[in-house]
Amino acid sequence: MKKILCLLLALTMVFALCACGGKGESPTADYVFLKEELGVETYAIGFRLGDEALAKQVSDAIKALVVDGTFDKIASKPEYADIKDFLCLKAEDFAGETLPERGSGDSSFTFKQGYDQDYPPYAYMLDDGTYGGFDIEVCKAVCEYLGWGYEGVPFAWDFKDQELNAKSCDCIWSGMTKEGREDKYTWGITYSNNTQGILVAADSDIETLDDLAGKVVGVQIGTSAAEMLEGDRKALADSFGELKTYETYNVAFNDLKAGAIDAIAIDMTTGAYLVSSAS
Amino acid sequence: MILQMKGIEKSFIHKTRGNIQVLKGISLEVDSGEVVSIIGPSGSGKSTLLRCATFLETIDAGEIRYKDEAAVTTNAHGKAEYVKPAQLRRFKQNFGLVFQQFNLFPHYSVIKNIMDAPVHVQKRPKEQAQKEAMELLRKMDLASHADAYPCQLSGGQQQRVAIARALAMHPDILFFDEPTSALDPELTGEVLKVIRQLAEEHMTMVVVTHEMPFARAVSNRVIFMDGGVIVEQGDPEMVFGAPQQERTKQFLRNYQK
Amino acid sequence: MSMAWSTMLLKMGEGMLHTCAIFALTVLFSLPLGIIVMLLRRSRFKPVQWITKIYIAIMRGTPLMLQLLAWYFGPYYLFGASIRGYRFTAIIIGFTMNYAAYFAEIYRGGIEAIPKGQYEASHVLGYSKAQTFFKIILPQLIKTILPSITNEVITLVKDTSLAFALAYNEMFSIAKQIAAKETSFTPFIVAAVFYFVANYVVAFVMERIEKAFDYYK
Repeated sequence: MKKILCLLLALTMVFALCACGGKGESPTADYVFLKEELGVETYAIGFRLGDEALAKQVSDAIKALVVDGTFDKIASKPEYADIKDFLCLKAEDFAGETLPERGSGDSSFTFKQGYDQDYPPYAYMLDDGTYGGFDIEVCKAVCEYLGWGYEGVPFAWDFKDQELNAKSCDCIWSGMTKEGREDKYTWGITYSNNTQGILVAADSDIETLDDLAGKVVGVQIGTSAAEMLEGDRKALADSFGELKTYETYNVAFNDLKAGAIDAIAIDMTTGAYLVSSAS
Repeated sequence: MILQMKGIEKSFIHKTRGNIQVLKGISLEVDSGEVVSIIGPSGSGKSTLLRCATFLETIDAGEIRYKDEAAVTTNAHGKAEYVKPAQLRRFKQNFGLVFQQFNLFPHYSVIKNIMDAPVHVQKRPKEQAQKEAMELLRKMDLASHADAYPCQLSGGQQQRVAIARALAMHPDILFFDEPTSALDPELTGEVLKVIRQLAEEHMTMVVVTHEMPFARAVSNRVIFMDGGVIVEQGDPEMVFGAPQQERTKQFLRNYQK
Repeated sequence: MSMAWSTMLLKMGEGMLHTCAIFALTVLFSLPLGIIVMLLRRSRFKPVQWITKIYIAIMRGTPLMLQLLAWYFGPYYLFGASIRGYRFTAIIIGFTMNYAAYFAEIYRGGIEAIPKGQYEASHVLGYSKAQTFFKIILPQLIKTILPSITNEVITLVKDTSLAFALAYNEMFSIAKQIAAKETSFTPFIVAAVFYFVANYVVAFVMERIEKAFDYYK
């Protein structure tokens, strides 16, 4: 009896080791996006309604940063490799425009960037424990260019509108989707064009959106994907067996790995980040 | 005259039965060195009378005097009028009250129960209060329990501590509100013995009790109350031996059964 | 994991300090405030009693997270006041007001459980009202309410995580941020261990205090 137990234990350990090795060998092919998309999504900077002047100032400064190459320098950092493809600002588009000079802003002004600190790689906690991310770096560069002071105001994403209206920050700037919110803010420049998709395991039998009928799909609360499934794509969402709402995509992805859910509705940038960092 | 109560009236507002008059113009005088027992059926108002005398209840009308000084008077509208709270506190130095339920302070040791009020209310020196408290405990036959807590004592022992606590304040008159009613029968003796001893020392006392033989043996005067009035009072031999009123006779008859 | 363990523990330690700050300040302010609320609740002046009752009902009947949001955003939406730099104050006000309501009800239950005879004995012995409360009633009150207070305090340790709604970097918010960055559960496990240990310490301390009152029944 004891021998059998020992044997079983040893076998379990061998299997466990094999399983670990298997995952390590073929990392990226484990999870794929469906070819069919949920919808197109662009990222822009949201200002308080009526703050046109500020929105234009910031947008023009970003254009200037694109023209002088600073923007591209930030975007080329390895940690932003996943989102670089979606960035849609090109120097040639602004060729004829008059852009602000370096240091032309009011030096007594402090610009307050409101952001969600749980949203890598746009705004998140870095390896050294400080806050950074693509949007924060660009915003700091804008402030430096114009000669403004910079202040970061992290907030809970669910209460971003209250924070903005209560003037604890001057803008919402952390990968915020413009679609569906066109009238809610005065929009600054659109800097990213991303797409919402469905992430599934590579070996799953789901190949089209129709295959999702009766399946369990996860989504993070308050995200564009979630809003899309409650709005334009409600009919699709209704065909799911269950639409599971998560506090963070991180937990949803763990459930997907564990086989507890069949798919995740997510923007392709974040999805790619999840898949690559999990390997 | 230590205590004079005149024309005491007291009503309670009952939830369903409205206004109930518990004391209907009672008068009571107690002389120095007198031991007065109050007997009567429950609900007759005898405990309420003690509670009025000790200011635990406020009276509606009447007069209360301690040592010929008025604590409560009746104004022109027939309403009772109390002296100012600070003065009333001074009046409390005249009397002590021993409760049916002892009401010792559970978080204080026996000795602290006795000496705390003398030290913190009467501002007497601590050493003196402690010495006196020990003497009282010796008198109560409880000297070895000075550092015990009330929960470690029997009911009879607790009641004797409560008597010591009242005596430590040097009262001119001591009230007992059914001091043995909460005790097991075998424990009443030790408490009654202490009260009897105090009577021998000519302590002025008013005792509300159901212990008829005790009342007969110890008191100088017995008062029989019923329905908020004093029905009969006098020498214990007279009240117990030859009651004049029909209600008194009936009450005593029921008691002997 | 690309974040160094030392960095993660350092950040979580920082969050732990913030959590402890919320906890300590809330306990410090709400325990005495609870006494005041209890006294108002027992006031003989009816309107004061009603207002206190309504306050307690709101504090107990609505989610603490909503209350935190109301305390933080309220000044702007009601009066247009600037709320810059007010985050932490709002959190402490929110927690204190909420917990004071709970403590007030615990105190009230305790006060009502003290036998009337204790007041009467103090009254007859000539103790002043203040002496009666502080020497006779309070020590007995503390003994009776300690177990309920322990419960509340343990709940408070866990409730501190609600400060995430106001994006205050307490333990749980930090854990969430690191978890989002690392796509890992490790920070949550560290957080769970912290909450467990913190509550263990609280329970241990409270048990010690309860024992100190064990010398009488």
